[in-house]
Amino acid sequence: MNPLLTFVVILIGFYGLSTSSNIIKSVFCVTIIESGVILLFLNLGNLDGGVIPIIGDALPVGGIADPLPQALMITTIVIGSTVTALALMLCIKVFHHYGTVEWAEILSRESGK
Amino acid sequence: MMLYVPIALIFIPVFSALIIYLIKAQSIRYLAFVAQIAMTVLAILYYEAYTGQFADTFFVIGGWHERVGISLINDELSLSFVFLSLFIWWMVLIYTFNTGQNHRTFLFFLMFLQGVFLGLLQTNDLFNMFVFLELMTILVAILVVFKKAGDSFRAGIYYLLLNISGVMMFLIGIILIYFTFGTINVNSVQTVIAAGELVSGDEVALRFAYVLLMAGISVKAALFPVHSWLPKAHGVAMSAISGLLSGLVVKGGLYLFLRVNQMFAGANIDYALFFYIIGALTAVIGVMFALTQKDMKQVLAYHTISQVGIVMMGLSHYDPQTVYGGLLHIFNHALFKSLLFLGAGVIIKAYKTKKIKEIRGVMRTMPVVSIFMIIGMLSITGAPFFNGFISKSIIKYGIQDSGIKYWILFIVNIGTATSFIKMAQVFFGPKPMTIRLRSLEQRIALMTLAFACVVLGNFYIPISTGFFGVDVSHVSVFQWEAFFDYAVALIIGFCFYKLVIEKDPLTVRKIREFNLSFEMSNYLFVLYVAVMTVYFVLL
Repeated sequence: MNPLLTFVVILIGFYGLSTSSNIIKSVFCVTIIESGVILLFLNLGNLDGGVIPIIGDALPVGGIADPLPQALMITTIVIGSTVTALALMLCIKVFHHYGTVEWAEILSRESGK
Repeated sequence: MMLYVPIALIFIPVFSALIIYLIKAQSIRYLAFVAQIAMTVLAILYYEAYTGQFADTFFVIGGWHERVGISLINDELSLSFVFLSLFIWWMVLIYTFNTGQNHRTFLFFLMFLQGVFLGLLQTNDLFNMFVFLELMTILVAILVVFKKAGDSFRAGIYYLLLNISGVMMFLIGIILIYFTFGTINVNSVQTVIAAGELVSGDEVALRFAYVLLMAGISVKAALFPVHSWLPKAHGVAMSAISGLLSGLVVKGGLYLFLRVNQMFAGANIDYALFFYIIGALTAVIGVMFALTQKDMKQVLAYHTISQVGIVMMGLSHYDPQTVYGGLLHIFNHALFKSLLFLGAGVIIKAYKTKKIKEIRGVMRTMPVVSIFMIIGMLSITGAPFFNGFISKSIIKYGIQDSGIKYWILFIVNIGTATSFIKMAQVFFGPKPMTIRLRSLEQRIALMTLAFACVVLGNFYIPISTGFFGVDVSHVSVFQWEAFFDYAVALIIGFCFYKLVIEKDPLTVRKIREFNLSFEMSNYLFVLYVAVMTVYFVLL
């Protein structure tokens, strides 16, 4: 997969964030951006014909993939899942409070009502 | 042993937070104070041990090579922020200590946020910066919705989603840096950039990385096109949390601005003009919105935006004096904005309303609190002998050669004066029939913050030379012009208030009701990144 394609994924996410009027869709767009970023990092750290970076005896013929992006992206995935969980929980609360998950409607409500 | 104090500073609050959350006894709350005392003592000892030799504070966790391991480092800048955060957290802890039923859960998030924030300040690793930024965003979102009432949920989700998309931009910038230099260690990257041996392709990647890092930082610091989350989040959170967020957590973005510019120092990126314009726009727009608001906390929240703009106006210079002015304004703003928010919290709780029009006679019901609030207001409007004056004067001194820069600052000053004249009305008027709330803890917190404002406003010369080694003796409080400038700003502000704002014309109402939708904020964010790309990469 070409790294440029992952940029397309990220841009789709930003396009969605700046057009969708629904909170749930916005949450998914953030998730899409995150997936794009993770794919980008893993792609750039990948090595064609390389071996997964696990401690072994000898250096394999094809070389090994860069272990650092993988280690970092695990962390990003974990944090990303937390963010998604929290965002969806807030969506539920917003729905209970306003009866809708449309940005335009919840933001136009006069405060305190 | 002293070398590992940064780890202790990160993990003492995190572990004490966990213990407070897990043990179901009310007395466990005092553990927060024990942890706070331990951290303060450790930080002071650490500062004593390493003064003058901050290069020695660098160490890598786990004995990895420094290009791949997690490393921590401290210098004057990060340690000054560490002391500031410890101080503000002390105040918030004292202020909130005897309020609220669900106090253990609240303390859990509060202490956890402190550990994360201290980690952000001391890390020397770009990816760790990202992790701490993301954790900070999550914890702040939870603290914003902690009241579980009214509009806090919509503010929380608005804050969360906008900031996460900003932090994602930051992460893409980190990825570009990693694949250009093969390391994400700030010091190593700084050395490589300063060596100046970049091929042409790297130069573009480097500049694009700078743009993306700055995009993330701008969202966290609430700069102009992406500021819309701040008034929403800070306006509805609990007052203590608003004080903490406005006073300190927003400054995390400004701290990263300084750090990243330090890192890119060798790349010859001409950032000063661009961020000066952004800062000026932020300041003017923040003050414009603040003028039209009727809600006490919204006014304060919009003033945070305008003060961040003033800080940016100081920071985006190459001359170290003016940058120091911006840095000092970060500290001053942290002190007086926390003071104002905490004081407003006391008033709002007593009057059970946030509307400025409905609150009257605070001077009679709560004389002590009003004195502290007035100190905060004098500081934020830049009165001589209070701390806001000092940093604004240093910035003013740095930009006095340029007419338009000077006038922008003057306009912002007038706006600030006007809206605090409006807010000062709450002190006067007849005494209403309200319950008198007397809380010793809250008074102690307010008093300490007010005291700090006055101390910084009068003893700024020894503090500056002692801590940062910057000589600011050219700023003098005993100047005829200083009083004259302040009086002019107050008089123009008063006239402007009486003639325009009080009558509430249609334009003012339109500005007040202007609501930036979530889609629009994201659109502006992407546009902002595009403009920065054109400015920094293509030109």
